[in-house]
Amino acid sequence: MTRILLSDKLDNCVARWRKAGLTVIGPVKKETSSSYATVEKAADFDFGIVLPDRSIKGLFFPQTEPMMGYTIKKQDIATNDFAPPTEKRIIFGARSCDASGLAIDDPLFGWDYKDDFWFQRRNETVIVTIACTKADDFCMCTSLKLAPDSTKGSDVLLRPLQNNKGWLVEELTDRGREAFKEIADLLLDGSEQAAPLAVVPEKFNLDACVAWLKNPENFDSTFWKEISMRCIGCGSCTFLCPTCHCFDFQDEGDTYSGIRRKNWDSCSFSLFTMHTSGHNPRSTQSARWRQRIMHKFNYFPGKFSVNSCSGCGRCTRQCPVDMGITETLQAISTLKP
Amino acid sequence: MSIQEQYKKRVRELLSSGAVKMVIGYQAGTTADRRRPLFIRTPEEAEKLVLDSACIANLSGYLVTEGLLSDEKSVGIFLRPDGIRSINILAAEAQLNPEQVVILGFDGNDKEVTALQGEKARDFSAIIASIKEHAPEAPRNPQLEQIEKMSPKERFAFWQAEFSRCIKCYACRQACPMCYCRRCIVDSNQPQWVNTSSHTLGNLEWNVVRAFHLSGRCVGCGNCDRACPVNIPLRLINAKMAGEVLGAFDHFAGMSETQEPVLASFKKDDSETFIL
Repeated sequence: MTRILLSDKLDNCVARWRKAGLTVIGPVKKETSSSYATVEKAADFDFGIVLPDRSIKGLFFPQTEPMMGYTIKKQDIATNDFAPPTEKRIIFGARSCDASGLAIDDPLFGWDYKDDFWFQRRNETVIVTIACTKADDFCMCTSLKLAPDSTKGSDVLLRPLQNNKGWLVEELTDRGREAFKEIADLLLDGSEQAAPLAVVPEKFNLDACVAWLKNPENFDSTFWKEISMRCIGCGSCTFLCPTCHCFDFQDEGDTYSGIRRKNWDSCSFSLFTMHTSGHNPRSTQSARWRQRIMHKFNYFPGKFSVNSCSGCGRCTRQCPVDMGITETLQAISTLKP
Repeated sequence: MSIQEQYKKRVRELLSSGAVKMVIGYQAGTTADRRRPLFIRTPEEAEKLVLDSACIANLSGYLVTEGLLSDEKSVGIFLRPDGIRSINILAAEAQLNPEQVVILGFDGNDKEVTALQGEKARDFSAIIASIKEHAPEAPRNPQLEQIEKMSPKERFAFWQAEFSRCIKCYACRQACPMCYCRRCIVDSNQPQWVNTSSHTLGNLEWNVVRAFHLSGRCVGCGNCDRACPVNIPLRLINAKMAGEVLGAFDHFAGMSETQEPVLASFKKDDSETFIL
């Protein structure tokens, strides 16, 4: 016996959660682009989206965020800190790869300095993941030893029913159980079958890739230049990536008032490592692409014991020149370690 | 022999005779409908070449990769007419020597491609002249017409909503053959001319600055529009500006390798209604 949430009860659920003070967020397609956005009713969700164009990352680590500000008036100088938001949210219909991405980044944001903006949002957000029954040619979670129904980073996992009328409910954390208490009477007991999970073929041998990357001799391999020759150096892959987390501080304003902001930054940009002197230790695009791969599969796991990739495939899916992690790791799989 | 096979043969000849050191073309991509840029340096590598209606991207931007043409050797490149116009602009703006560019020209629709005769950009001037001639009666983008009918207030709201998705990844800039600056104005930080933040003002600033920089230079290849990971209809802005420049100055970007940039030149009969 399992608990079941029927789709026709979803409108009630959304209303209940909203009444309880939660902002309800889900996969939404607006105009020509999809993302996780605020919904007001069940009809606003689009569960047909294989994966929203923009990852879940921006809801926890926005592309631009004010940190502090100042105003100066003659003798008066005032500074103000922007506190982390206290909004309570529920994301209904996250994908496993996106939820996993958040869990992958948790140790990073809590390492030498605990990022309150990240953790406040993490603590105040319930993540309800829907297991994937559809995948596209770019999905690669299985190559990262994850799966269409991975529970990593999720508070509740829903499995679509075979009859397409709702979901099997698996509560995973106290945060998830708490949110589902609000709708406990809307759930049913049942023995319906879950729909088969999406088939995501394994595209490369991760262990072989990691072994090759760990060999210091391969740092200067000509492979890097060859594989990245067509990279145009935009930040699309890094900004859409659910785990890429680099940022930059920017001061905007003048002598009298201003704001310090935390903005997304990308290792694909030449400016990323440019020194004041003009020297750039990563002066070529191939050095930048190598950094991105090395960071995800060598340096990050070296420090946090987890690869910085959840296999969503956005890097390739939206790359203007059809590059991405899949092609690079597929190529590395065929090289001698 | 299919056009693809004819061109493979031509690529092999160009490389084995030493006429070019490299050919930039297309190869198969991750999915059946995708093509990726391909850099061919040996006659054998020509086998990977794909040439069909899915070869859409304007590859000319790769020619201004730092150092590629500095040894004065030639490079072959597959280009549609819009790409050939890009070569003319890059030459006119002193970014490359058109003598070093061997063009493998092609054109076509969404079903098939046809070969274009010629080798140097100037060999295609008749084709480009005919495109300009037919520009006024070419079918206009229905969405653009819809936007033109909006009131200024509605139009501003429309673009603000579109730009609100911008994440400032600069894929539009990087994919554009005309955005060749070694250091873009938005990357200049002493002083910081343009906000780097991707907020309402920052996104508007970036996209408006880019629209003006491309006025009279954009050939409408659509690289920016296709590159945008959040699908902002960037080509509409550039198409609008190209139409304005054509109407006001009879300037059609990329006519010849000596064409003067419209916003950097003055003619006595230029319309001055906006000044007087």
